[in-house]
Amino acid sequence: MKLASAGRYGLLTVAGIISLAPLLWMVASSFKPGAAIISSPFDFDPGQLTLANFRSMLETIPIGTGFQNTAIVVVVKGALTMIFCPMAGFAFAKYAFVGKRVLFATVLTTLMLPTLVLLIPLLLEMSQLGWVSTFKALILPGAIDAFGVFWMRQVIMAIPDELLDAARVDGANELRIFASIVIPVIRPGLAALGVLTFINIYNDFVWPVVAVNDEQHQTLQVMLAALAQNIRSGQLGADWTSVWGQLLAASTVAAIPVLIVFVVLQRHLIKGVMAGSLKG
Amino acid sequence: MATLTEAATTRRSARPVRRRRVSAAPYLFVAPFILVFAAFSAYPILFALQLSFTNWHGAGALEIVGLANYQFLLTSPDFWQSMATSGALWLLVVPAQVLLALTIAVALRKARFRGLFSAALIAPFVTPLVAMAQVWIILFDKDFGAVNHGLTSLGLPAISWLTSGVWAKVTIALLVLWRTTGYAVILLMAGLSSIPSDVYEAARIDGAGAWHQFWSITVPLVTRTLSFVVVIGTLTVFQLFAEPYVVTGGGPFNETRTAGLYLYKHITNSDLGLGAANSMLLVVMVLALSIASIRLLRSREDS
Repeated sequence: MKLASAGRYGLLTVAGIISLAPLLWMVASSFKPGAAIISSPFDFDPGQLTLANFRSMLETIPIGTGFQNTAIVVVVKGALTMIFCPMAGFAFAKYAFVGKRVLFATVLTTLMLPTLVLLIPLLLEMSQLGWVSTFKALILPGAIDAFGVFWMRQVIMAIPDELLDAARVDGANELRIFASIVIPVIRPGLAALGVLTFINIYNDFVWPVVAVNDEQHQTLQVMLAALAQNIRSGQLGADWTSVWGQLLAASTVAAIPVLIVFVVLQRHLIKGVMAGSLKG
Repeated sequence: MATLTEAATTRRSARPVRRRRVSAAPYLFVAPFILVFAAFSAYPILFALQLSFTNWHGAGALEIVGLANYQFLLTSPDFWQSMATSGALWLLVVPAQVLLALTIAVALRKARFRGLFSAALIAPFVTPLVAMAQVWIILFDKDFGAVNHGLTSLGLPAISWLTSGVWAKVTIALLVLWRTTGYAVILLMAGLSSIPSDVYEAARIDGAGAWHQFWSITVPLVTRTLSFVVVIGTLTVFQLFAEPYVVTGGGPFNETRTAGLYLYKHITNSDLGLGAANSMLLVVMVLALSIASIRLLRSREDS
């Protein structure tokens, strides 16, 4: 029994270390002088810590613009998702309306489709609308996503009808019922949806890289990838000591917001992922 | 009994009230979603289907070419290479992920500090993919990377992680496994926690060992979650884009040009009709693989 338990904790510890090691290595190395990253990747000498990588990274890429663009997309797209997914979920969970079943079946089917399929037709649609390289293109496609609607429907279905009917008898209109009864009751589910939505939008890469071709609207992730590409094609020179330090500094800066959100809200995230598994 | 009839009467009496007052509400609630869904999901899919029968390059009238795009792709070595690359990555990622995630989830189920371990395991999933892909380039560099540094200091030979076709696939598979296995663990934890503990108790009384319990109780009862993990893994691998885009750029010699990267090439070449046909083939492939994996897993359930 003792042996089994040692095995259990041994396994979990190894898995935990493997999960965290690349992250910790990235953050720690970004503060090391470029030459030391290469010559002694596993040594960390507190006396050597430097901000040089961050300074030269800031000169190479306009990371502030990237942050700003990503922030705009996260806030607007996130708000659309957080307001309209529960609203649509409410309609699917608690009302009968014409076309509901067909509509819901369509939603479920699209959950199974690879999103890459949309890439080409969406890009064409954007160019027909004249939306290429605009915030509209970054924000609207993929906002109010089907998974969020499906998930909110599951959560709202658990609310007893009596609670809603009682409010109706008191003369509340449907919007009022949604805002003052449904929303407060589903707050834990909403929190989990919020965390997942934030992470998904913040980390999104495929669509932004296709939808935007000017630097002015590049999101943080696109900017980072461009940096890596420039390095591979040799545009930044072959001085690995400087280039790697910059890459690590940029990656660390980009990871900080999600890691903060994660540390503060990770319990909601885990609950959210668990709730998502009901989908199967 | 009383509550049942009460519920029945409220439902009956509520219905006419709702029909009179509410008629517009559900439509208004669902309208924003429908608008976005129709404009940016349903319409593009239908448009892609139409495009796949044309030779459109982004301007001018649509010229129908019938099945020519499909014929071209299905006889193109590049297309099959991209599919084979994604297939190879699938083999490297999905079976290993299922085994790892299930083992870790079972270990985690009765462990203390569960919250702490879960948090550590899911942390890679939230980190920006592009950032981590860059870290991967550095960690797996042949000459200066930390991984080879570690291998050689243990007396093992250095590996050409990014410059040999086979190892480049392994490097990308490792990135995918590192990022998404924790997510699968949490999903499986949810599945495991739905198994009542008295099932295990009964098995223990009958003298079933830990291994026997695992195979005859745990695995069959989490089949649904396992198939969900497999489907998500399949979708992830066949859509793989950012990882090879950043880590290898599809190289060396297109050895890591996944289905997703190949699709992107049609866009940069403005071969949009061809790209649309490629998307449709990708859908068929993903659905077929997902359904096949679910069947395979479910057949265990019946036996």
